[in-house]
Amino acid sequence: MLTVERLTVRRGGREVLRDVSLSLAPGKTLAVLGESGAGKSTLIASVLGLINPEHGMVSWDGRPIARGAVALVMQEPRAAFNSRLTLRRSVCEPLRARGLPEDQDRFFRLCRGLELEPDLLARRPNQISIGQAQRAGVLRALIAAPPLILFDEPLSALDAATQKHTARLISAIQREEGFAALIVTHDLGYAAAHAENIAVLREGRIEEAADADVFFRNPQSSYGQSLVNAAVALGALEHRAA
Amino acid sequence: MNGAAELLLRSVVVLSGTAILTFILLWHAPGDPALTIAVARYDSVVSADVVDRIRTESGLDAGFWTAFSHWITPLLSGDLGNSSVSGRPIWPELRTAILLTLPLALMGLLIGLALSIPLAILAVRHPGGWIDRGAVALASLGAAMPAYWLALLLILAFAVKLLWFPAMGTGSAAHLVLPGLTLGLGVAASLTRILRSALLEAKGAPFLPALARRGVGPRERAFSHVAPHAAIPVLTVAGLELAFLLEGAVMVEVIFARPGLGGFLIHAIQARDFPKVQAVVMLTAILFVTVNLLTDLLYRLVDPRIGTRDA
Amino acid sequence: MRELLPVLIVVGILAALAVFGPFIAPNPPNAIDIPNRLAPPGGEYLLGTDAMGRCILSRLLHGARWSLGLAFLVSTIGLIAGSVLGLVAAMGGRTVDWAVMRVTDIFLAFPDLVAAVVVAGVLGAGTSSLIFALTVTGWMRYARVARGIGLGLATRGHVVQAQLAGLSGPAIARWHYVPALVPSLTVVWTGMLARAILGISALGFLGFGVQPPTPEWGTMLLDARVHIRSTPLQMIWPGMAVVFCVLAINITGDVLRDALTDRDAPA
Ligand SMILES: Nc1ncnc2c1ncn2[C@@H]1O[C@H](COP(=O)(O)OP(=O)(O)OP(=O)(O)O)[C@@H](O)[C@H]1O
Ligand SMILES: [Mg+2]
Repeated sequence: MLTVERLTVRRGGREVLRDVSLSLAPGKTLAVLGESGAGKSTLIASVLGLINPEHGMVSWDGRPIARGAVALVMQEPRAAFNSRLTLRRSVCEPLRARGLPEDQDRFFRLCRGLELEPDLLARRPNQISIGQAQRAGVLRALIAAPPLILFDEPLSALDAATQKHTARLISAIQREEGFAALIVTHDLGYAAAHAENIAVLREGRIEEAADADVFFRNPQSSYGQSLVNAAVALGALEHRAA
Repeated sequence: MNGAAELLLRSVVVLSGTAILTFILLWHAPGDPALTIAVARYDSVVSADVVDRIRTESGLDAGFWTAFSHWITPLLSGDLGNSSVSGRPIWPELRTAILLTLPLALMGLLIGLALSIPLAILAVRHPGGWIDRGAVALASLGAAMPAYWLALLLILAFAVKLLWFPAMGTGSAAHLVLPGLTLGLGVAASLTRILRSALLEAKGAPFLPALARRGVGPRERAFSHVAPHAAIPVLTVAGLELAFLLEGAVMVEVIFARPGLGGFLIHAIQARDFPKVQAVVMLTAILFVTVNLLTDLLYRLVDPRIGTRDA
Repeated sequence: MRELLPVLIVVGILAALAVFGPFIAPNPPNAIDIPNRLAPPGGEYLLGTDAMGRCILSRLLHGARWSLGLAFLVSTIGLIAGSVLGLVAAMGGRTVDWAVMRVTDIFLAFPDLVAAVVVAGVLGAGTSSLIFALTVTGWMRYARVARGIGLGLATRGHVVQAQLAGLSGPAIARWHYVPALVPSLTVVWTGMLARAILGISALGFLGFGVQPPTPEWGTMLLDARVHIRSTPLQMIWPGMAVVFCVLAINITGDVLRDALTDRDAPA
């Protein structure tokens, strides 16, 4: 269980997060929505322990989150790979860190699911497309089966079909392995299809936190309302309405 | 930002560290220091009693930290201590040596500036032109030239073949010419390089064409816009050149048999007169730490963005 | 790593000189031939002889092993020690960084040749104190450069990912830091190699370094200095050897630096 308690983070003299509290159970997905600059990436970095909060706490089952027990899919997919190493080396890093063998079965199954051919993984980051890098990033996050995975706009560089497909694959593995997922996204359709919980972040505060069903039927916050209305108008929430 | 206070703390830490490290080095130097002192003082075969007496007198038998505090306590009140060989206070002798080195260093600096400034300015007029390439080549040659060899070449040309200047010793102003030139050529080599790239960078700065369009004349552009930008690297270079001058002066003095700081240091090392060595080390360290402190402070004045971690 | 090619070539030639120089020397370096002392170049001895009638060319070639070989050793030990310290500073957090950088400042609080003279002189003449003196006074540039680049890498995505994966500190350094350091540290290394050659010969010339009759270029200059009036050529050769090597290394370093800064320029 991920618990974030009254987290306040200051960056460059400004409070970027203020009194943020969240919780997320294993096997569940929490979608964090918010405008650009709302503090979503900062929240993720604080959960990972990459920045020290001014006050507040982040814990997993009551203990600080251990290195290796959490994975991240980054917003800028190519920067997440060392330009001097092959993708495969980078992708298997979590396994090597734990002294695990490059688990052949699981590795190839995930590759197939994400449509990453072995030939592609033998290349370096500057020799692949951004969408491919993003899928490789997802592969790296899944490969060692961590209990908690954070996604910072994981599918933004993919075409609609690949997006759907990849999202379904992530969900399927989540059902199988039961990891908790915290997903930052601007894609309301995605949140509607896969998240059990929704949190709306605005100027560093949680403006609204609700079950997905409640949120999509009756958003309380003004930003939430504008999002849902816009999405309904576009027909992005069809399958939930159905 | 706790800039200035942190910089000051740094300086204190660095100076204390230098003191401790020097003391460790000298403490672990091979040989029995008491015996060395005894031999130096009495210049003959000495008995074990005398050696033991000296050991007790000089606090050499008391252990590292006691000996260290024996040395550092007077130093903190500005007392450099006494020579372990002659027993006389170090400072008067050291001051004489510094005063002998000063004219040489000044001469070197003047020659260096007199050569490098015009050369650099001529060079950047037409970057890539023959003057520019020649200047770069000369500067590279100068940087590769050991001071002692350059000195020997100058002696060979001007003292042995041409008989224009005396090769060795001190006395007249003529004695200063060859040592000063040796030092000055070295300074000129490094300064030309640095000045040239600083001027090039300032010249290529994007704001210059804009200024020209606004009707700012070339003279004003050079003095009120290019010069301040070139001043930042020059600031750092001042520290570097000071090191170069001191280092060069030591070598040059030895080669030309000129008394001064170089001779003082080398003789102190050879005589194993460690208090003297320590005095030179600490004075130099204070000088350089002060210069660095000032440079850092000035940097912050010029560019307040510089933070503590990357400075 | 194609940019490293010029360095490899020049350094390879110098290394070959250090290794094979003694084998192509026409005479033993310490063979004394008094009747032929201070012989001019040409004739039996190609570059002439010194005051004891020793073949200068042979001494130069044997000297390459000392002057160049020791320089390789000194600059490489400095490279390893300095970059490890720099990486520890960059990866170890603020306190560690502060401490390591202050230690670096302590060693920088002093012109390095003077420091080397003090250390070598105090420890007593000889090759091992020479190596020690030049190494302890020659690691700081590496540390600063390694730290600077390391701090820049610390927030890069791939480094963050490696940390999250739970990779150990040394493994992160090995795979994510060291490869990024290689080009810049090679530039620094060429500079330090040149400095070491100058330092070795300077200490030899002052009598604090390699001891006679070992044919080291600085000590050869010291020997030759007395005969500057009678046989000035004798001091020209070792000096030229030093200048040539240092110049070659410095030019290579400049070429390498230019190649690297071109490539790293904003795309
Ligand atoms: N290092 C920093 N120093 C100062 N301010 C920062 C820093 N990093 C981020 N910020 C500020 O913090 C706020 C939140 O940034 P964050 O990256 O968390 O936004 P975000 O919600 O992820 O936005 P986006 O959707 O555009 O990725 C922004 O206003 C940003 O300008
Ligand atoms: Mg973001």
